[in-house]
Amino acid sequence: MLKKFQQEYATKNVQFILTDFEGTILESDQAFLAIKSNSHLIDIHPFFECFISIKDTLEDEIVFNCVHIVVDNNEYVTDIQFSKKDVGFLVVISDYTSHYIAYQAIAQTRNESIINGELITIKNAELEERERFKNLFIRNFSHELRNPLTSIISITKIISSTSLTSEQENMIQFLQESNANLKLLLEDILSISMISSGRLKLSENVFSLSQLFELITFTYNTKTASKGLSFEINIDKKAPDYVEGDRLRLYQVLTNLLDNALKYTNEGKITLNITFNQKRANKVNMRFEVLDSGIGISKDNFETIFESFTQLKTATENPGSGLGLSIVKGLLDLMNSEIKISSSIGEGSNFYFDISLKQPLQTSTKPILNTNKKSTKKSSKRKTDKKYRILLAEDDINVQTVLFKLLLNTGYFYIDLVNDGALVMEKLINDDYDLILMDINLPNVMGDEVTRLIRDFPFKNIKKIPIIGLTGYSFEDDFAGFKKAGMNAVIAKPFDDQDLIGLIFKHL
Amino acid sequence: MQLSKKIVVLGHFGVGKTSLIRRFVENSFSDNYKVSIGVHITKKVVEFEVEDTMSLILWDLEGTDEIKTIRDAYLLGTHGVVFVFDVTRPSTFQSLNTDLEIIKSKLPTTPLFVVGNKVDLVVVSELETLFKENNIKTNFLTSAKTGDTVNDMFFELAKLIK
Repeated sequence: MLKKFQQEYATKNVQFILTDFEGTILESDQAFLAIKSNSHLIDIHPFFECFISIKDTLEDEIVFNCVHIVVDNNEYVTDIQFSKKDVGFLVVISDYTSHYIAYQAIAQTRNESIINGELITIKNAELEERERFKNLFIRNFSHELRNPLTSIISITKIISSTSLTSEQENMIQFLQESNANLKLLLEDILSISMISSGRLKLSENVFSLSQLFELITFTYNTKTASKGLSFEINIDKKAPDYVEGDRLRLYQVLTNLLDNALKYTNEGKITLNITFNQKRANKVNMRFEVLDSGIGISKDNFETIFESFTQLKTATENPGSGLGLSIVKGLLDLMNSEIKISSSIGEGSNFYFDISLKQPLQTSTKPILNTNKKSTKKSSKRKTDKKYRILLAEDDINVQTVLFKLLLNTGYFYIDLVNDGALVMEKLINDDYDLILMDINLPNVMGDEVTRLIRDFPFKNIKKIPIIGLTGYSFEDDFAGFKKAGMNAVIAKPFDDQDLIGLIFKHL
Repeated sequence: MQLSKKIVVLGHFGVGKTSLIRRFVENSFSDNYKVSIGVHITKKVVEFEVEDTMSLILWDLEGTDEIKTIRDAYLLGTHGVVFVFDVTRPSTFQSLNTDLEIIKSKLPTTPLFVVGNKVDLVVVSELETLFKENNIKTNFLTSAKTGDTVNDMFFELAKLIK
């Protein structure tokens, strides 16, 4: 390395030029620049125009480093030194072209790298902002949809329990199916929004796999039968009964895969296989496989089917959001797993993934013995003669109507209504209530803020009133925030009638 | 001898100083980014009226993220300064006012233009909001790529230092 630098100095071109005090050239050794005597420095290159400002102020010497000059169509990168002498100025031009070109290459790499890094950061910030806006839009949009959807679902249910003609019953059934699809679509959009925004947090709770499989068996026996298909579930005997993880999200993954299989299968069967892979420490690894005898998928579509809003062209007779597999992919990512697929056109599909779940110590040896059907729907029938007073704080007239109808029909409740957050405290001071149903988006004072005021109130009879939040927001951190404000429970709109009544009784 | 004035063009690297000069002198543009090291000097004669011309000696200084490191020798005899930043890269203008103070401390009486370049890549109305929020004042917004206001900027400065 040192030799290289030594050689550079040994072979460098240095030209000495002597001028008078006005810049007229007296002598030049012509080392590498052909400069005519009696010409002016300025004639060499525009750089030397600076001589005009130097000539009157320079006392000793000055050096200009890394100056690019072009002489006779040749470019040189030079250091140029001006020294004041008795007769005029000595100008020394040192040609360091090769040295500076090497330096330029390093600077080029460095600067390009920094600029690219900056541009990537800016681009990422833009994408994040767009993603944030998209998620905010979805959040607000879905919130706005929830109130009317609550009304539609509940009123449809109320109408269905009245005396109807056969034609009306058919129409109500169609309406109920449409409502259910709309609700599912809304939940799918929210799920994908939560996954992509990173707001979805998995829970870690002990749950029974056998009960999960029972529910799936019951549901898909019914669903496949209605399409003339059969459903088979094969559970490895070594599969543990209890595991620790997010039951809801695992259920969502499996049902999305099964629904997808159902969508693209017109004859034959759908199979769910659960295989025990291995157990390490306190974690059990299992494979879940969903096989169908459907139309199959071309290899070209393997990547795109996991993108949001993607549906295969052949699925036109099976409408859906096109979000199911995208949700599966996103949820499995969160669970440190990966969805895989093997399929070919006309030969059905096999979607599978391996997943590790914690096994709680006390239940680790208990195998799944059977999958007997059990009713999973909680009964809302209560044996009580007491009537409870409920304060409903809700400003949406449709939701008010639905809740009045629903709660009064049970015969267990008296209902009082306020449609403004600012009026809640006044009501509580003047009357006794057993429970409050509190909308979050109330005018003037938001429901969570009213809840804080209630919980800070000095009188115990008011401070301790159970409060159930009603909200169109369904993100988990929204729920957590409302509970932190002091709500005993929160239920998302559109809610199931029985779920709401069950929740009310739980907190009375 | 024709009137000759030295204009120093400086700013952070990659902001388009060389491209601005090339657009002004040669009326051309290249998308290829070549890092300038040291100083390139070019000359351009501007004509105010018939027989009223001026030679602009344009010193295209190596871009730096530390304005205070600019060699003082390069600034000797400067008549006008153009400080260029890239409107698409905040790093080139986030310390603009500090950079300008440094330049003004080195050249206290020299006219100085602040120029935001690459405006063809942004929405100007959004840019104006951004500048307002960050207390950034510019003399010109240019695009070396399209040539937008490049000649006007140099011509205005030439008139100012005439």
